[in-house]
Amino acid sequence: MSEADIPRERVEDALFRAGYWLVFAVLMLPIVVVFVTSFQQSSYLTFPPSGYTLEWYAQFFGSEEWLGAVRDSLAIGVGASLLATVLGVTGSLAVQRSDSRVAKLLPPVVLLPLLIPPVVLGLTLLIYFNRVGLTNSYVNIVVAHTLWATPLVFFIMQSVFARFDWNLRDAGMDLGARPSRVFYHVILPNVRSGVVIAAVVAFIVSLQEFIMALFLKSFEVKTVPVLAWTSLQSSLSPMVSVVSAFLVLTSILGVLLSAAVMNLEWLAEQL
Amino acid sequence: MDALADESMFAWVGERIKRQDSASVFLLAPLAAFELVFFVVPFLILVRMSFNTQPETGFYESGWTLAAYGEILASNLYHQIILFSFKLGVIATVVAVLLGLFYAYAAYRAEGLTKSILLFSVILPLLTTLVVKTYAWRPLLAPNGVLNDLLLSLGLVDGRIQFAPSLFGTVVGQVYIVFPYAVLAIYSVLSTLDWDVVEAARDLGASRPRSFFEVVLPEVLPGVAVATVVSFAWSVGAYAAPSQLGTGEQTTFAMEIGNLMLTNFNWPVGAAFALLMLAAMLAATLAVIRLLTGSVGGVQDV
Repeated sequence: MSEADIPRERVEDALFRAGYWLVFAVLMLPIVVVFVTSFQQSSYLTFPPSGYTLEWYAQFFGSEEWLGAVRDSLAIGVGASLLATVLGVTGSLAVQRSDSRVAKLLPPVVLLPLLIPPVVLGLTLLIYFNRVGLTNSYVNIVVAHTLWATPLVFFIMQSVFARFDWNLRDAGMDLGARPSRVFYHVILPNVRSGVVIAAVVAFIVSLQEFIMALFLKSFEVKTVPVLAWTSLQSSLSPMVSVVSAFLVLTSILGVLLSAAVMNLEWLAEQL
Repeated sequence: MDALADESMFAWVGERIKRQDSASVFLLAPLAAFELVFFVVPFLILVRMSFNTQPETGFYESGWTLAAYGEILASNLYHQIILFSFKLGVIATVVAVLLGLFYAYAAYRAEGLTKSILLFSVILPLLTTLVVKTYAWRPLLAPNGVLNDLLLSLGLVDGRIQFAPSLFGTVVGQVYIVFPYAVLAIYSVLSTLDWDVVEAARDLGASRPRSFFEVVLPEVLPGVAVATVVSFAWSVGAYAAPSQLGTGEQTTFAMEIGNLMLTNFNWPVGAAFALLMLAAMLAATLAVIRLLTGSVGGVQDV
């Protein structure tokens, strides 16, 4: 390395840093827009706003339509999260401990719904539920979101179980404990944080998803993102920013919670 | 479901129970049943639906015909929509994967708080609804928006440019949607790379770009392949970004399916369109994987 290379490397380093901080700023920009415009005064979304008010928040908490959507979203999110966690954890455990053909076939099938455009999945399920006569929108959207959330739970748990020392389980079995007791007393305490993160991720995915929910919505059942989307078709109102601010806040809380339980780096490698 | 077809399910279950492996059968059964009932069977019904015809009233009329496929293949409008979907898929994928490679590398090289901030900045948009990710760009890219104000005050442009709605806005929105996935797919492979190997290459006289292209890049190629496949599949099927940030010219097949299913109630054509696009996307994806793994030796089983 010659003397002349040293300043050039400094310039390169500076450009590299400037480059990734610029990308960082662009990534954060829409999120800043959401929070700032939720406080804006005028009724048409502008950034930066000319004045600030809490009026849109007051309207949100006074709106039966929006609060109903919040209830629908929470109910569906909890349902999808529970179902995806049970299916994902048991399935992942089985695949870890079994080398049968079904166990080998399952991971790619479970992953597939994530790689199919959500519009196609939404249309497939719309036709299916109509043909078999399932008309409960809550159930239908929970099923759709579970198809998406299960692969995430499944693969998070695969990596959690991979770090678990299976000799502990064998020791429990050798001491005469039933498999269910071994699971509850030996396996679960060791993987609990992984299960919590998987459930949180599943809940957030369900809360934020809107294309399948748009296809499967009914007059009575609309999730928050679906209602936000339909209201965007008529006007670009700051009300959308108010609900979006809540949605983003839930995600921030979920990520911070996961980061506190495990760490951010681990989470980044799982998603 | 081939595994079940050539071996009776009951025989299989009996075999397991005989081998005292019943626990894994009971653990496997719920997930396998769920995927079968709500994923595999719905797709078979979708295929059946595509052979039906559209009646005067109602969603479909039972039949066995290729009329729905014929309608799509004969229509000029649909040709344009298909062409644009793939164009958007290619542009958004190239931009997202190149930028994602850069950002993943930055996160890999960063330490401590910077690393956490960079990773947080991709995980947060990843877990944010598409609605937010697309509409928030509108006040930024509009003719009277922030980007135009910035360019005008810097004297870089003479008049205001309509960045959105336009192709540009659509690409920005779509890249923003798939970028986090591209970064994390590459980062998860990159994070297993031992930096000492790169140091060694540099000590042996490789320049920094050369060490990146000859040591780092071949290592992360599987991650790049995953990032490409995911970005491409989602961008061809783009719905939210072109609806919010595009004009009528930026109509994708996903938007057209939305129209067919929710407004025109033409289910057979909607089903046929979805299946045709899935087949085309699968073919394109396989070609891309072949290209990425075939051109550089040593990477198998992506």
